[in-house]
Amino acid sequence: MTGPVGIAIEGVSKRFGAVQALVDIDIHVKAGEFLALIGPSGCGKTTLLKCVSGLVAADGGRIVVGSRTVTGPGGREASLVFQDFALLPWATARENAEFGLLLRGAPAAERTAAARQALAKVGLAGSFEDAYPSQLSGGMQQRVGLARALAVNPQVLLMDEPFASIDEQTRRILQDDLLRLWSDERKTVVLVTHSMEEAIYLSDRVVVLSPRPGRVHRALDVPLPRPREALDVRASAEFARLVDELWQILKKMQ
Amino acid sequence: MTPLLTPEPAFDRAGLAALAGLLIVWEILGRLQLTIFIPSASSVAAAWWELLNNGTLLRSAGSSLFSLAKGFIPAAVLGVALGLAMGRFPTLREVLDGWINALMSAPLSALVPVLIALFGVRDTVVAATVFLFAFFVIVVNTMTGVRGTERSLVDMARSYGAGETALFARIYLPANTFLIPELYAVIVSVLVVALLCASVVQACERALVRWK
Repeated sequence: MTGPVGIAIEGVSKRFGAVQALVDIDIHVKAGEFLALIGPSGCGKTTLLKCVSGLVAADGGRIVVGSRTVTGPGGREASLVFQDFALLPWATARENAEFGLLLRGAPAAERTAAARQALAKVGLAGSFEDAYPSQLSGGMQQRVGLARALAVNPQVLLMDEPFASIDEQTRRILQDDLLRLWSDERKTVVLVTHSMEEAIYLSDRVVVLSPRPGRVHRALDVPLPRPREALDVRASAEFARLVDELWQILKKMQ
Repeated sequence: MTPLLTPEPAFDRAGLAALAGLLIVWEILGRLQLTIFIPSASSVAAAWWELLNNGTLLRSAGSSLFSLAKGFIPAAVLGVALGLAMGRFPTLREVLDGWINALMSAPLSALVPVLIALFGVRDTVVAATVFLFAFFVIVVNTMTGVRGTERSLVDMARSYGAGETALFARIYLPANTFLIPELYAVIVSVLVVALLCASVVQACERALVRWK
């Protein structure tokens, strides 16, 4: 396994017809960093993530993931995790987890082994393998989505509001599991979220984007101790202070 | 893990009573020997039993099913292919949409005599009718399905490096063939209508043009 890589986003702009979505975005994500992107609805945070994944072509500037300049989708450095999970409804959990490897032409035995291992990492070993997405709860479906992302052993996880459509209790458990995975696997993570608590709880640094056109408004470091999942960080005064600081930034921007 | 729905009984008591009543009325009308066009229910049952026993019924059903397959399989293959392509490529859709819609809404049963003129009274007519009835429905349904395929599934596949071929084979095709029971319902109904149309017109032809 190769170590995590950094991401350089330099002068990136994007326009959709008459709408200027992103203007001159500069963000450098360090190797192994957990970065959260937050901002009001329509600020282009998801568009920016899609630019990094290559699904959306930026109009100007450049994006480098590791040593590869992004020119289109399909780069092997990064895996996407989707808000609506994007699972194939006709495939079982294991087949879904194998899907990235299947598209990359991995042999069947290798796919199955990697998918099993990834499902075990997200806590879905055993009988869940053969369940179809419709038979799984939202939280479990996103675990499958995460297993699919991990099965290709990426250096970067690009997560687009991954827990937004999951209930609060399950979301907290998934957040802790994600932190555990992140510290075990040492991946670089870029997480798009609209939850201030989630951004502060998970990330090393929060980048705040301004509303249309999206620009980098502020970056906020999160010096909370780790491993946060074991330290009951949510209950600390420092956590509350950071969430409030982020809220003050977002409030002034409206 | 969702519990299966308990199927409703096909006939309740009232339904069975109505069916029995119908059979009784039919039998009485038949025995009155008003016209040769109303044979009694019991004689129909006897004829059915005889046809079943001497193999005529199964042979005929087999040949109908065979013509159905001869028309349907090419319609499904070509229809799904064209539907996928039209769903994916806007230019192709713009060029062909008008044609497909016009032909789909045209009264195709009116074409059956033309087909008979072309192919004669043969299996080919049934197959051609079934093909025409099924093809346009399949094209339009597949195209609609492709356009409605969830954006995130397409994004997901592309993010793992899927090109056009892989997108068709791994996303659009399964998304539009495994998941649409409604499509099958439409196709089966359409096929039955097609088969009936062709058979009725053929029977008329045979009756009217006995020397052929």
